[in-house]
Amino acid sequence: MLRIVASASRPTRLAVANRRNIASTSARQADITLTVDGKEVTVPQGSALIQACEAAGSPIPRFCYHDRLAIAGNCRWHVPRRGTTLTKTRCVMARSLPFLVSSFFYSSSSAAPAMNGQVVFTNTPLVHEAREGVMEFLLANHPLDCPICDQGGECDLQDQSIRYGSDRTRFHEITGKRAVSNKDLGPIVKTSMNRCIQCTRCVRFANEVAGVEDLGTTGRGNDLQIGMYVEKMMDSELSGNVIDLCPVGALTSKPYAFQARPWELKNTESIDVLDAVGSNIRVDSRGVQVMRIQPRTNDNVNEEWISDKTRYAYDGLRTQRLTTPLVKGPDNRFVAASWPDALSAIADGLKRTGASGNEIKAVAGHLADTESLVVLKDLVNRLGSDNLASDLADKSGDAPPVHGVDIKSNYSFNSSIPGLESADAILLVGTNPRHEAAVLNSRIRKSWLHSELVVGMVGPRADTTYAYEHLGEDAKALQKFLGGKTNGDFAERWAKAERPMIIVGSAIGEHVDGEAVFSMLAQYIQSAGTRLVRDDWNGFNVLQRVASRPAAYEIGFVPSRAAASTTPKFIYLLNADEIDPASIPADAFVVYQGHHGDRGAALADVCLPGAAYTEKGATWVNTEGRSQLGRAAVPPPGAARDDWKIVRALAEVVGVDLPYDDVVSVRDRMWAISPSLVRWDALEETSLPVAKAGLASLAGKKKAATGQKLELPITNFYQTDVVSRASVTMAQCTRAFVTRESEPLAKGAVEMHA
Amino acid sequence: MCLAKPSHHLMLSRSYQPAATITRRIAPSFISRGLASESIPSSSPPVDATKSSDVVPSLSPGVFTAEVVSGAPFRLVLAAQLRHRVVRVYQPTRNTMQSGGAKGERWRIDFDILQGGARWENPLMGYASSADYMQGTRMTFKSQEDAIHFAKKQGWDYYVQAPTVKKIPPKNYSENYIYRPNKLRIMKTK
Ligand code: SF4
Ligand code: FES
Repeated sequence: MLRIVASASRPTRLAVANRRNIASTSARQADITLTVDGKEVTVPQGSALIQACEAAGSPIPRFCYHDRLAIAGNCRWHVPRRGTTLTKTRCVMARSLPFLVSSFFYSSSSAAPAMNGQVVFTNTPLVHEAREGVMEFLLANHPLDCPICDQGGECDLQDQSIRYGSDRTRFHEITGKRAVSNKDLGPIVKTSMNRCIQCTRCVRFANEVAGVEDLGTTGRGNDLQIGMYVEKMMDSELSGNVIDLCPVGALTSKPYAFQARPWELKNTESIDVLDAVGSNIRVDSRGVQVMRIQPRTNDNVNEEWISDKTRYAYDGLRTQRLTTPLVKGPDNRFVAASWPDALSAIADGLKRTGASGNEIKAVAGHLADTESLVVLKDLVNRLGSDNLASDLADKSGDAPPVHGVDIKSNYSFNSSIPGLESADAILLVGTNPRHEAAVLNSRIRKSWLHSELVVGMVGPRADTTYAYEHLGEDAKALQKFLGGKTNGDFAERWAKAERPMIIVGSAIGEHVDGEAVFSMLAQYIQSAGTRLVRDDWNGFNVLQRVASRPAAYEIGFVPSRAAASTTPKFIYLLNADEIDPASIPADAFVVYQGHHGDRGAALADVCLPGAAYTEKGATWVNTEGRSQLGRAAVPPPGAARDDWKIVRALAEVVGVDLPYDDVVSVRDRMWAISPSLVRWDALEETSLPVAKAGLASLAGKKKAATGQKLELPITNFYQTDVVSRASVTMAQCTRAFVTRESEPLAKGAVEMHA
Repeated sequence: MCLAKPSHHLMLSRSYQPAATITRRIAPSFISRGLASESIPSSSPPVDATKSSDVVPSLSPGVFTAEVVSGAPFRLVLAAQLRHRVVRVYQPTRNTMQSGGAKGERWRIDFDILQGGARWENPLMGYASSADYMQGTRMTFKSQEDAIHFAKKQGWDYYVQAPTVKKIPPKNYSENYIYRPNKLRIMKTK
């Protein structure tokens, strides 16, 4: 298990200046100096030798070592030469090694600690010979199926055997190579276990990050196998990451199997929008299609992981798309139209319904980008309306949010995502981060594993990947806890915590007790003095679950009180697909702009095809308030257009003059609204006085809790928006992990065997 | 086919946006963007590799852009709407499928796709066709300054995306066996 040394993982304190430079870590810990390939390097005490070598600019080839996993040292691969003598070594992981012999002679530097004054060579003939030897052992049982292996072209084993391997083998086993049966890990991970080199990265990932403690190893030596012990699928919302981790082709991607080779793909670095974490992704496309989505490392957001929804919902981008403007004809059927026709049909509709002022309503959906929200708000405002709703299934989106939008810290994740690692007590209120922000949840688990973090939860019980103390199901239980009337371990630890953290789920704002919960929390924080909110710590967090919501709040895309009670006559749905059809008056004229033909489009009189998130360069704001710039990887299909351009063109047709014509000036407008929207990648914290003012405004609202049970907003993690609802892979995951229809050990199947 | 797609796009913008956007970029007033002038004077581009910049317009004194040097008629330059594009200067992140970080030290310039003109499936062969002659271009430079200098010489507006900083705590094999006083929080199956 990897111990986070003192507070080394606290991002604010561990100021690593650039990627290679562990040496610049602050000198709190004793530093040691060693020589790697004739270069002196200083690393913090307790670093692995492999880290020291990397810091010295001599990265060591590796299989089992991974920066974000505990050290195993079982592949015996990376073997720098230590000192002048090749010392004998501890055979640390011999039990899992078919490569025992080599490990007697060479030490493995991922397992070896760096020592002061050590002299290390990483590039001598002896080292090469050693690597060649280990490689020969690794390949002894590795099938020669690179041409049909999906890892081909981005395989560590392939690359390293080209570089260090021998051109022939001395291994001639009469019985043939080791054969291992494949495992069924579910609709996402495809296995080809013959190829496994037993690095156990997947096992360590499942144990440490995903919290699936039943992926493991059985057997020893040559018989060691990776599997779930019983016929079971790997039920984790992060399971796709083992595909990346696997250095060979043993675990590959099922949906992507035999689809493309890495060298055919164009990589576009972008931002994920299927939850509000804003995971950094790389969209790999070929021609006009997105072929796969990979994570991009960013320690401030998603480290190196993305959720399965982020990774595999992309096949939903190919189906159910709106490719051409549609106008509903007299017989209630959609007819394809040209852009000018569709836009003038909208202008006519607006005139015909006679909508004016707040009767013109715009609804911001989950996947609306910031640019189009800004342009739409400007358009609607200039038409004289303040009716800017958000897209929520019940009617709560029509009313102004209970936390208000004047102060950013009232609806943001103020502690920041890396800040989770320094929290020592977390109180979850009406949220299951595992479903609402899967990658963020893995940080909580990380912190829970490596520190003495305790977690308490108010709200429905949920299957998290860490233990928590359940404090109750409703706002009254929360009140009791905050009033100090709850006993138990968590309450004790909470009272003593130095960096306590409250995480309020976004669904609380939609609950009848929302106002009560926010105000009691604000009052509690105020009464707790500097314990929760102070200069270096803001422990009040709202976890948003929808990508567009933080940006919508930031630009003030919320209705005024007067607008909330107006019956709309003209409704503009911007990517709004969760909307309740009953909330749309029968005689209203409805326009849907978006990329999928889902619920929203079905309600519309005119559909305008927009671009999906992989098809437009747009700004996205995550739950922390970090704005990031997504990029277009592929063009939108058919006549679909960038969303802000559509709204801009519509403004021209309905006779509203908007002062921007290109994306640069739209971003100028965004800058005028809130400069942080265009300060990409930077996280701008709310200053302490402002945050306190925000809390005061929340605390001011006195409302008694009704005690109605809190509810979790997401029941099916795999299908939460139009893209994932259109995705075949996500449907399979739903069958496998949510409804459990295709689980081998599902009830029916067991009975059949019995 | 080649022309049909982009002109479709232009049709949309022409009929409803009479203030054509094509020539605007040349106007020097473009430089006076709030953010650009606030943090970064446009004449000295950011070399701070740790911060993302706003779009920096390429009109900078003392640098002759390619088209000026080439002597191409100015009229052509105006018509070449494809030319004035914002390029991105960035450091590619490591492919998470592999552990080697070899190409991560370089800086890259690439182009955003063009709406409508980017790519479409050729009906004859099923290949991807494009009206954008830059869509396949990706350039690699040794340093950020080189990349920025090149962009300026070409007359491209550019945007610098900051590389992310890796934060890896020191790791130790012995940590696998550290004794923890409280309830065991992880069951290791390795
Ligand atoms: S399946 Fe892949 S990641 Fe897992 S132990 Fe085998 S080689 Fe390593
Ligand atoms: S990477 Fe060091 S032993 Fe595997």
